[in-house]
Amino acid sequence: MLQARPDEAAGRIDHAVLDVRDVRVRYGGVEAVSGAALKIEAPQVVGLIGPNGAGKSSLLAAIGGQAQSASGSVVLLGEDVTRLPPHRRARLGIIRTFQTAGVFDGLTAFENLLVAGVGEEGSTLRAALGTRAQSRRRTQAASDLARQVLEEFEIWHIADLYGRELSGGQRRLVEIARCLMRSPKLLLLDEPTVGVAPHLVDRIGEHCKRIRESGVAILIVEHSMEVISTICDRVIVMASGQVIDDGPFDVVMQSGSVKEAYLA
Amino acid sequence: MSSTILLQSIGFGITTAAVIAIGAMGFTLQLGVTNLLNLSFGNVMTIGAFASLIVERWHLGLVATILAAPLAGALATFVLARTLFAAFAKRHNGTFDLLMVTLATGLIIQYTLDSLAHLQVFQFTFPSGSTLHLGPFVFTVLSLALVGVAAIVLAALMAALHMTRRGKALRALSVDPKLARACGIPMRRMINLTWIVSGALAGLAGLVYVTNSLTVDAGAGLDFLVLVIAAAILGGAGSPVGAVLAALVVGIATEVVAAVGGSYYSQAAGLAILALVLVLRPASGIWSGPNRDEVTV
Amino acid sequence: MSFYLSTIVVYFGADLMAAWGLNMQFGWAGVPNFAFIVFQAAGAYTYATVTLGPSGGVTAFQHYIFGANLPFPLPFIVSALAGGVVALVLGLITLRPLRRDYQAAVFLLFAVIAVDVVSADVNLFNGSNGLAAVPQPLAGIQNSLGLGGYQWLYAAFVVVICAAVLTLIRALGRSGWQRALRAARDDEPAARALGINAPVLRLQVFVIGGMIAGLSGGLLVGLISAWSPGGWQYSETFAVLTGIILGGISNDWGVLIGTFLVQIAFQELTALFLPQIGYPGLSDALVWVVIGLLWLVVLYFRPRGIWPERRMRVNNAPPKPVERGGL
Repeated sequence: MLQARPDEAAGRIDHAVLDVRDVRVRYGGVEAVSGAALKIEAPQVVGLIGPNGAGKSSLLAAIGGQAQSASGSVVLLGEDVTRLPPHRRARLGIIRTFQTAGVFDGLTAFENLLVAGVGEEGSTLRAALGTRAQSRRRTQAASDLARQVLEEFEIWHIADLYGRELSGGQRRLVEIARCLMRSPKLLLLDEPTVGVAPHLVDRIGEHCKRIRESGVAILIVEHSMEVISTICDRVIVMASGQVIDDGPFDVVMQSGSVKEAYLA
Repeated sequence: MSSTILLQSIGFGITTAAVIAIGAMGFTLQLGVTNLLNLSFGNVMTIGAFASLIVERWHLGLVATILAAPLAGALATFVLARTLFAAFAKRHNGTFDLLMVTLATGLIIQYTLDSLAHLQVFQFTFPSGSTLHLGPFVFTVLSLALVGVAAIVLAALMAALHMTRRGKALRALSVDPKLARACGIPMRRMINLTWIVSGALAGLAGLVYVTNSLTVDAGAGLDFLVLVIAAAILGGAGSPVGAVLAALVVGIATEVVAAVGGSYYSQAAGLAILALVLVLRPASGIWSGPNRDEVTV
Repeated sequence: MSFYLSTIVVYFGADLMAAWGLNMQFGWAGVPNFAFIVFQAAGAYTYATVTLGPSGGVTAFQHYIFGANLPFPLPFIVSALAGGVVALVLGLITLRPLRRDYQAAVFLLFAVIAVDVVSADVNLFNGSNGLAAVPQPLAGIQNSLGLGGYQWLYAAFVVVICAAVLTLIRALGRSGWQRALRAARDDEPAARALGINAPVLRLQVFVIGGMIAGLSGGLLVGLISAWSPGGWQYSETFAVLTGIILGGISNDWGVLIGTFLVQIAFQELTALFLPQIGYPGLSDALVWVVIGLLWLVVLYFRPRGIWPERRMRVNNAPPKPVERGGL
């Protein structure tokens, strides 16, 4: 299902998946991110770690569009998205999850995926007023994909439960599964394993690896070193709003920058 | 518009501001502590006004007439909060559900009063005293007294909130209820106190409103509520000083608009101010967020 | 009696359309539109003014703006547009990321102010007396059909319009657009992060609901030939909402049953059959007290209504909410 896209991967060799330069984010009077930069050349799983208040979620927000960067740039596959609102960035391929598991409570798990998958044309008013046959065709493709994804994540049996009826772990899985409905180029995961049972954490890690194999870059904010060590090829360490280290997992772990970050 | 009319409007505006300020202080105190937008506040103001009207009809004297309003307001608010609002809050209903409860409550109060009052509008008599000219402004003794009352209420509130232990506890409560509870602040007692004080202010505001407008009917509070809420929110939830300053802005704005465009548009001015505040001002607590979706009732 | 029944049919049809319109805004999109009745009033007033002819003319003692003499069916179209325009203007100002209770308060206060302004400013829509003697559409037929027959024809007309609105509602209710709206209602940042342009969608549903409300107002005036501030106090939105919430938010048939119970059964039948207690007008006031109480009861015991939203089922195996710890 998660088809690799060799054509796209080949065509985009000249553009990095993500190029972030000199991003600054202010909340009230506090600068949460002061001049952060990172570059993801090819599909890989990049971990973003650091103590609370280091600016990890704010950096994610700047990339996803939930927060505006006062300076610098965010470039996705050669396209400058710095001034674009979140829904436009989503349409270009930046998909993210939220710390509080943004699952839609009043929609079933299946509908959660459907609403992500029908696409812009399907969610417009014009489409709603169109003929039954047209809308059925559109929803059919999305329905098929939704079923596939739910089965891959082994949560097909909860398809008809409302978001509010799901357990914490199920919500996380639905949220991640939902991201795949939009064929993301860049997936931003904000602490996806918080409050999730251990065996589910392993499952989430497996899914991340498979997503990476299909040509999607992942930037994951995590506190759990186990998850980071299992799935991350590369780790970025943040402290006090700045990036203080960036490199392969083993190298960063040896360098002592992590200790420095948490003690700062 | 000539400058005399403008100045006169400002003078009237100060009186109107005094009337609004008392209600706004009560509203903002309650909003700050409980985080509940209590739309039945307007109807409690009406209850206060009616209580005074009844006492006046029984000829129990000026003091009793004046005291009846805050007493009735405090009692009504306390009963409502401890029964209705508490019942719903106990089931973890959020700010929006509770708002609908206060709205339904207000509806019930308004039409109950209407039924009891035989759908009539009443004339209220209150000695207004002689007219005084202070510079370019025109006041009556009564309107100056209203300004005085508002000033006294503000002073008393500020003193209580900043100099007494209970007051400080209340301020802590309104900033962070969870932390306050963890610090051992007696929540139940403080919240009861909030309801009583804000209810008393609501009742008093109702009395003050009808001494200015001289008519009482069941819908009186609701018209007035627009200006009270506008002032409370413009001044920042939980800040009595803010409420008073905002009341000045709203009061003067409505009188100026009334002088220029006609009195029926004056309330629209209040609503416009409220809309402007909500649209432009990035104040915390107005935007939804995970920690401010609960009421402390 | 037949006269009364045909009137009831018209009232029910208009109330039902209005309820479906508000359900779109409140149930689907989560917009706490306590100013809904203002949209119906906008439609009602414009219907009246574009049928009465220029102000100060034939009906010389009524003052209003927008006078015209439009033939059937234009006034109905105009009334729908009027509702839509008011919704658009109000929506552009108030539909922002604001805490829901503050937003609700703004809508409510707008409704209160609107009634006050229109009541007081005689030049707008004839003040607190309102507009009257509005000519009924195609009144010429009355000669051949008789008043009773004409009224039944009008009732049939309203039923047809109502059915058309229902078709629209059901088509919209099944769409990806509606699903996107519900998602935006539940968690707007998450919805936007999935490509949903929430503000635009919300404005769309607001305007469509407003147009339906306006049309319902026009349909009412077409029959009763009059409209005044007494008919659109802020409490009227409450009556519509109580019908929706009683029957079940977001369930079209639930809304029908709830609206029938509250707007028709309760209000009309108490007026008819309950003995006139106390003084005239008392029962009207008491009706509102009961509606408020009913609201509280429903909110407490069955906030999802009697007939809840029907959930989409795709998995034929019965789903069982799993205990924590397992998957």
